Amino acid sequence: MSPINSHLPKLADKLLQWILPDHMVEFIVGDLEEYFAMRQEKLGLLRARLWLLIDVISVCGSFAFKKIRSNSNYRTMFKYYFKLSWRNMAKQKVYSSIKIGGFALGIAATLLIALFIRDELSFDKHYKNQDQIYRVLNESTHPEHMERWSAFPPPIKPALENEFPEIQSVGRLINFDWFDAGSNQFRPIEEKANIYEEGFVYVDPEMLDILEISMVYGDQSALDNPKSMVISKSKADKYFPNQDPVGKQIILNENDNSIYTIGGVMEDPRTNSFFQFDFLITLKAEEFWEGEQTSWGSWNYSVFVKMKEGGDPRQFEEKLLVIRDDYIVPYNKERGDQRADDMAKYYRYDVQPVGDIHLHSQVTHDNLKHGDIDTVWLFGAVAFFILLLACINFINLSTAKSANRAKEVGMQKVFGSVKSEIVRQFFTEAFLYTMVSFLVAVGIVLVSLPFFNTLADKNLSIPFSEWWLVPLLLAFVLTVSFLSGLYPSFYLAAFRPIQVIKGNLSRGAKNSKFRGTLVVFQFATSIVLIICTIVTYRQMDFILNKKIGFNKDQVLMIQGASTLGNKAEAFRNELTRLSAIENAAYTSYLPVDGTKRDGNSFWKEGRRKEDKGVGAQKWRVDENYLTTMGTKLVAGRNFSADRASDSTAIIINESMVKEMGFENPIGQKITNSFEPTFHVIGVIEDFHFESFEREVGPLSLAYGSFGSIMAVRFQPGNTDQMLAQVKEVWDEFMPNQSIRYTFMDDSYARMYDQVNRTGKVFTLFAVLAVIVACLGLFALSAFMVEQRGKEISVRKVLGASTTQIFGLLTSNFVKLVLIAVVLALPVGYYMMRSWLSDYKYHVDITWDVYVIAGLVAVFISLITISSESLKAGWMNPVKKLRSE
Amino acid sequence: MKLGAFEELVLLAIGALGDDAYGVTIKEILKEKTGKKPSIGALHSALYRLEDKEFVTTHEGGATAERGGRRKKYYQLTSYGIRILEEANELRMAFSRNIPGLNLKTQE
Repeated sequence: MSPINSHLPKLADKLLQWILPDHMVEFIVGDLEEYFAMRQEKLGLLRARLWLLIDVISVCGSFAFKKIRSNSNYRTMFKYYFKLSWRNMAKQKVYSSIKIGGFALGIAATLLIALFIRDELSFDKHYKNQDQIYRVLNESTHPEHMERWSAFPPPIKPALENEFPEIQSVGRLINFDWFDAGSNQFRPIEEKANIYEEGFVYVDPEMLDILEISMVYGDQSALDNPKSMVISKSKADKYFPNQDPVGKQIILNENDNSIYTIGGVMEDPRTNSFFQFDFLITLKAEEFWEGEQTSWGSWNYSVFVKMKEGGDPRQFEEKLLVIRDDYIVPYNKERGDQRADDMAKYYRYDVQPVGDIHLHSQVTHDNLKHGDIDTVWLFGAVAFFILLLACINFINLSTAKSANRAKEVGMQKVFGSVKSEIVRQFFTEAFLYTMVSFLVAVGIVLVSLPFFNTLADKNLSIPFSEWWLVPLLLAFVLTVSFLSGLYPSFYLAAFRPIQVIKGNLSRGAKNSKFRGTLVVFQFATSIVLIICTIVTYRQMDFILNKKIGFNKDQVLMIQGASTLGNKAEAFRNELTRLSAIENAAYTSYLPVDGTKRDGNSFWKEGRRKEDKGVGAQKWRVDENYLTTMGTKLVAGRNFSADRASDSTAIIINESMVKEMGFENPIGQKITNSFEPTFHVIGVIEDFHFESFEREVGPLSLAYGSFGSIMAVRFQPGNTDQMLAQVKEVWDEFMPNQSIRYTFMDDSYARMYDQVNRTGKVFTLFAVLAVIVACLGLFALSAFMVEQRGKEISVRKVLGASTTQIFGLLTSNFVKLVLIAVVLALPVGYYMMRSWLSDYKYHVDITWDVYVIAGLVAVFISLITISSESLKAGWMNPVKKLRSE
Repeated sequence: MKLGAFEELVLLAIGALGDDAYGVTIKEILKEKTGKKPSIGALHSALYRLEDKEFVTTHEGGATAERGGRRKKYYQLTSYGIRILEEANELRMAFSRNIPGLNLKTQE
């Protein structure tokens, strides 16, 4: 009988249908309707409806759990599925642990990489006005040097403020070693001892607002007064514990011009931001030399803007060309610079959202530490592949073991199971395996995070406090178990019961081709990673050991030597008297990162209006520099302290000789437009003063005996003793400032941290991939030995030797690995060629890389399968045959 | 087999109603005798348990228009149900007789 009418809302009806036991729904709903009719008469429609609602809730409450408790097939079935899966897992411990172990490794790698990628992507995404904050970049589209750089001339700020109504505010930033930016000897004015600090930058007062810096003491106006400074919370705690340091004075490098007043304290910068500075010095009323602030000729300022709401950055970018056409090109034309025409053609601006600074700043010179979107992609791909390898293991092992499960499936079908139920059972099993593997994987991640953090130079942790973590991981587990359970489930569920029970199963032979393909894929991936590892290590080795034109070993760099002032020469003399010290040079410029740079344009004397300038570094060094650095003079002579004329002498490198087009460089006169004309007295061999990513450019050395670093060449031998002696001398001269030094080879190696790190990461993943692949291979071979046990026994009885059995069992797998080698070589070659092309100077990928990678793969796979194969070969055949 | 206090009341109501015991009438008579309105959920839940414990049998019928054409489920005491009621009553009487000064007269 179907209901005629119903006063129940549809939703309530559905709910009751779902919750109430099937045999009671009709009567209870009938009762509810009857009450409703009665109440409608007595109380009116509205109140009757209200009561109906209350009744529905009351009924639902009473019956909520009855259905599941009593009469549910689901529960029983799933209980049964779980029990079966669990028993299967426990029955074959080795096999299960290989399955779980491999899976766990794969998942752990994926989780680690996911954490890494999440962190990389989170950089500078935290601003309230995210889509209004931009950085302005210069862009050269010249085909020979496509690059971007962040530095602008100082008047860019008033120009932007006056001519662009869509801009709300403009802030400039200087973040390289320049005047007081960079690193300094620091002390509060009432203290005695200097302490070395890094992370000084010049900023406009507007930057506090633009970058939404939150203040602990003081407010957004903290930098409005000239010579004011904002320091970070942790530095404030270090120097002014438990007090408000606003108004306190500090002094840098014992320099009376560098006394600043603290105007405020900001929160420590978040780690996932480009802005990693502890001391912000105001640019308010700062002028570094006369006329600097109004000159369009000195490029030192990074520019950040906050656009007004609704401003279109792309339009702004187009409009910006006004700056080029109205200011920069005319300035250079006026001064007769031949590059002005090129500029108008190949020079434009790029307005970069603040969130893109970290990952999208390739070929951008801005002196910031960047990530790289390519690395993120690469890591993502590696994670995906390792997870895939782990899933493949699961699939391979499940189908390989199918023979053992076939009888079970056959019996179930005979007793009336339908295919969908068996599929469900195997999915449950896949889920169980994934879940256990996943828990193991989380354990692995927790243990290995500190190591991974060191490796990747990060500070990652599992975000346990985030609400989305558990649902996300659950979704991940479900997806992975679905992917890995899909094929085995349908494959196993498709067995025909009669055949299986008769014993006619093809024992997975049909499937061996599919399994073979998957094994080939696993090993090809591993081999590609092995190739990557070898090549990155070779490149690193190449960088560290190539002849670089100077001797980076046995050089001590004593930092902060500028505070020696006029005692510098005495200090140097005192040092060189030590027996362990060969030589010492006083300079700010060294061919490692973190030392000063000075880009200039040079012309032949008198040809400034006719020629394009040659861009070259100009380093101030003293007469001891060349001997200390071990750089070879190929022509001319070194500086001499005795010749007064050497104040305008200059030594240039071979690359500069070529660029300037000198036939006979010695004696030539060159000029950089703002200093007196230099005369060339010597030519040195090119040495690598920049990263290997770039060609050695023009470099000139001018004479000057002042600097922030004392470079000391010492003799091989007892380094500790030498250090102690040097320290003693230093303390005599500078009792209030502790000595700070680095070894030049360390600083040099640090420039290539990225390569080093990439090499280590590849190693890690290659090892993981190989382990996962080998676990799979091991289980497959064990399985095959088990399957062919009788065949092997019969062969042995008939006289086969252990060697023959071994060959028989291993040849198939070795064939697969060889196919994998052939497939992997071109992929590896292609990947590494594009990676190496970033380096102007790099190793070639020689044939032995492939041979090594191939041999490693074959060797490892042989070891993996041989234990089982040998066991089979040594086995007493009677044991296997007797049980028939 | 245990019999809860509310279950006992419902069982008594079913017995008292005779041939006309179904959800609505049972609820009405309980309201009339005890003066309290039982919640429908609790009532049906109790009925479900009584049926499960086989103290009552059921038959279906008597669809009416106000029920939206749905049938009623009539409840009837089984002999087991009757015995359970008797046992419950006996237990109470046995206890009560030992309590001095308790008025055991029932009003008709």
